Amino acid sequence: MWPYIIRRLLWGIPIVLGVTMAVFLGLHVMKGSPSATYVGKAATQEALDQFDKKYGFDKSYPEQYINYLKEVVTFDFGDSWKNGRPVGDMISEGAGKSVSLTLPALFLTSLLAICLALVASYFRGRGTDRTIMVIAVLGMSVSFLVYIVVLQYLLAFLLPIFQIHGYEPGLVERWQFLMLPIIIQIIVGVGYDTRFYRSVFVEEIGKDHVTTAYAKGASKRRVMFVHVLKNALIPIVTRVMISIPFLVTGSLLLEQFFGIPGIGSMLLAALDTDDFPVIKALSVLISLLFIVSTILNDILYAVVDPRVRLK
Amino acid sequence: MYQTGPYIGRREGNTLPCNDLDAPQHVGSPRNLEVLAVLRPVPMRQRPTAIAPLLSIVALVGVVQAFGCKKPPAWEKGKKVAHLAVRAKIGTLDPVATSSSYDNEVLSQSYEGLYNYKYLVRPYELEPMLAKSLPKISEDGLTYTIDIREGVYFHDDKCFPNGKGRELVAQDFVYSIKRNADDDNHPTGYWIFQDRIVGLDEFQKRMAERGTAPFDWEADVEGLQATGKYQLQIKLKRPFPQILYVLAMNYAYAVPRECAQYYGSEFGNRAIGTGPFVLKEWTRGSRVILTKNPTYRDVRYPSEASPEFQYLLEDAGKKVPFLDAIVYQVYEQDQPMWLKFRVGDLDMVQMPAEYHDDVMQSDLTLEQRFKDEGIENYNLALLDFIYRGFNMQDPIVGTGAGSKYLRQAISLALDGEEINGAFYNGTCVLYDGPVPPGLDSYVAGVTSPYRGPNLDKAKELLAKAGYPGGKGLPTLQLDTSTGGNSPEQAEVFARALKRIGIKLDVNLNSFSELSNKLKKKKAQMFGLAWGADYPDAENFLQLFYGPNEAPGSNNFNYSNPAYDELYARGSILQPGPERTAIYQQMREILIEDVPSLGHMARIRFYLWHGRLKNVLPDEVHKTWRKYLNIKESN
Repeated sequence: MWPYIIRRLLWGIPIVLGVTMAVFLGLHVMKGSPSATYVGKAATQEALDQFDKKYGFDKSYPEQYINYLKEVVTFDFGDSWKNGRPVGDMISEGAGKSVSLTLPALFLTSLLAICLALVASYFRGRGTDRTIMVIAVLGMSVSFLVYIVVLQYLLAFLLPIFQIHGYEPGLVERWQFLMLPIIIQIIVGVGYDTRFYRSVFVEEIGKDHVTTAYAKGASKRRVMFVHVLKNALIPIVTRVMISIPFLVTGSLLLEQFFGIPGIGSMLLAALDTDDFPVIKALSVLISLLFIVSTILNDILYAVVDPRVRLK
Repeated sequence: MYQTGPYIGRREGNTLPCNDLDAPQHVGSPRNLEVLAVLRPVPMRQRPTAIAPLLSIVALVGVVQAFGCKKPPAWEKGKKVAHLAVRAKIGTLDPVATSSSYDNEVLSQSYEGLYNYKYLVRPYELEPMLAKSLPKISEDGLTYTIDIREGVYFHDDKCFPNGKGRELVAQDFVYSIKRNADDDNHPTGYWIFQDRIVGLDEFQKRMAERGTAPFDWEADVEGLQATGKYQLQIKLKRPFPQILYVLAMNYAYAVPRECAQYYGSEFGNRAIGTGPFVLKEWTRGSRVILTKNPTYRDVRYPSEASPEFQYLLEDAGKKVPFLDAIVYQVYEQDQPMWLKFRVGDLDMVQMPAEYHDDVMQSDLTLEQRFKDEGIENYNLALLDFIYRGFNMQDPIVGTGAGSKYLRQAISLALDGEEINGAFYNGTCVLYDGPVPPGLDSYVAGVTSPYRGPNLDKAKELLAKAGYPGGKGLPTLQLDTSTGGNSPEQAEVFARALKRIGIKLDVNLNSFSELSNKLKKKKAQMFGLAWGADYPDAENFLQLFYGPNEAPGSNNFNYSNPAYDELYARGSILQPGPERTAIYQQMREILIEDVPSLGHMARIRFYLWHGRLKNVLPDEVHKTWRKYLNIKESN
């Protein structure tokens, strides 16, 4: 397995290079130096030039790109231009908060969607199936923003069950603030996932090994959980694993509406203020997470399906 | 449609009647397996009922409540704590590196400057804060000698020996102003000192070119000297009466050198000033908690107030601060901020515009039901300059033979009231010239012959510019930011120009992109706003001063020798009739030349719960939260 992992990691290098090149072209070549943003609302040409010199914008593009690559290799992107803090510290602080929101939401969404999809596929074509699918489609059809605005108003203001807004850093205290955004994320995500998993299960149910299982007298429950669910794990694993990079990047809207100081709103602020060190660091982080998640995905394939061999 | 495939999951008959459930089934029959699995009776204890989901919901609510929702933190019990809102994340608490008014608001509760605005007096008047008195100014207006208050101490912090804050001295101001010249501090306000203090620009340039050498804090700056332990002397290159306002700004707040150096790049995470509140906690992106500074000097609530604010003198002469703590919560969206205010978790808010019609009556007083709830309000007229501007170096709208007529025509096509009504609930004050209401040389009413809408006259001037009906005029370009409702406002502007035959393309930019275009003179027309740094018309008039052209503050790149000459004369004068007359001449020149149009000043609607006392919101004066008090509950 290790040679496979190492090989996959090496294959990841061109991906990271591609991402860095795209980010570099977007920021350094197309946008250019954001000196005007950072030297104050009234600047002098000297001040703009000093900024460019300090951050290397006076160098040729190849030199600027090589400097960027050095930052990637050392994973030291320096300090945020916006607040002067080390970018690494900012990301490590924000990532934990975003993951507190997104990981439980992903877990519960996946669990609920798998259960609903099993029920729907089990009752395929019947009232239960139709009801679940109608609810799923309705859930998907309503904008994320509408859910946030309405449920925040209903469940946190009119029926004060949850907190309207805020965040506590403590591992226990934070949950009172995270519950409603997690529930909203589940409501939004469960429709998509249920429909996807249902189609996977229905396809699996139609396969010969399931028929054989029934023919051998296996119980319905055993067929659904052992023969169907187990064989449908590969698409489930794929769907869950592709979500990993987004666990860290968080949910911009939820973070903003509920006051959770995660990575999502940090990325938006960085884009809005041309905070290049933060944008560059998060771009690389997302691409690395993507590579790691695809490797994990492949490893899990081998775990859930013995026919898969990692060579 | 059913898929073809196995019979599992397909239903070929109706659900078996309940009385058939106990009937013997052919277990091996796949068709019946499904029925068995679903409808096989289960023991009573396993039978799902409506009670289960109900219990689940009750349990969830119980868990939520158990986590302590709605309970104030234990540390707040029995204390006077004000819960306030900031509408953007706090970036830094370093006074020289602030990039938003919210950074400035928070740090201004911990840091202090030499001067401050009188809390209850309008028009604005300065009073000493860390200075002992107003400065002695030499006859030529160039040398300011400032005595510093003795016995003022910085907050206790581990950056001081034994953790005890040391006494403030004049040298702290020399150091603090010099910090604006150090790039490593990410300073945003050096421009306000530029070309003002003797030797400072040379010092800044030397430091910028020092390479890897350490910053030379000991280097002498002729115009910035501590002439005694408690005496500061500032020498100006030319008279600049507004320097006192600058010394009241955050860029000149007193910062202890040993602490800035002790914390280095992390200094922006601290707030170690001489102010009434100490930084207790900062959860980045979420909230800041400030607690009363136990070593704060004897500062009293003001006894002087303008007639309209006499009602705020109940606590006159009492020692401040009254509050034990201030909790600033970050709200990046308006709904949660408003809901938190409505449930009483927030003591004061700036009313979001979308709630205007619910909250305010047409005469801009509070709806009765809010008054009945004990909510109070104050409508703060901002020193604001919202405008659309021209790049006066552009060959079409700036330097061409008919450019002036074209600008006048464009100004006449715009209906400012339409924008005011559509985007500001009709609450903005429209005005002519660059000086907003409340400042010297402002003139109320319609005083410009080019204030729109007057389409007939606009068409006439457009023809005079050489573009009858817009013929021959290339499509104009307007750059504006994507923030707020700027794009929609730009569309209204484009529609207005279309009425006289002018085509306008709207280019949307992030604020950063827009700044870059302006500094590089690449925007033909642009939409922007300028908020007062200090309450003096000069702060607005300098936006059109030729030598300030981009990348300076003159984004219009306006250059008019007559105007520049007047600015040079007027800006060095103390307030008085002579200066007002000059400012008004400058205003008239700008009205005729139309480098900008559609001028508006906003009103900010502050609301607070009645338990909060002594509230007079202001955005020029930043240090007034120390005067807030909370009514004792009965």
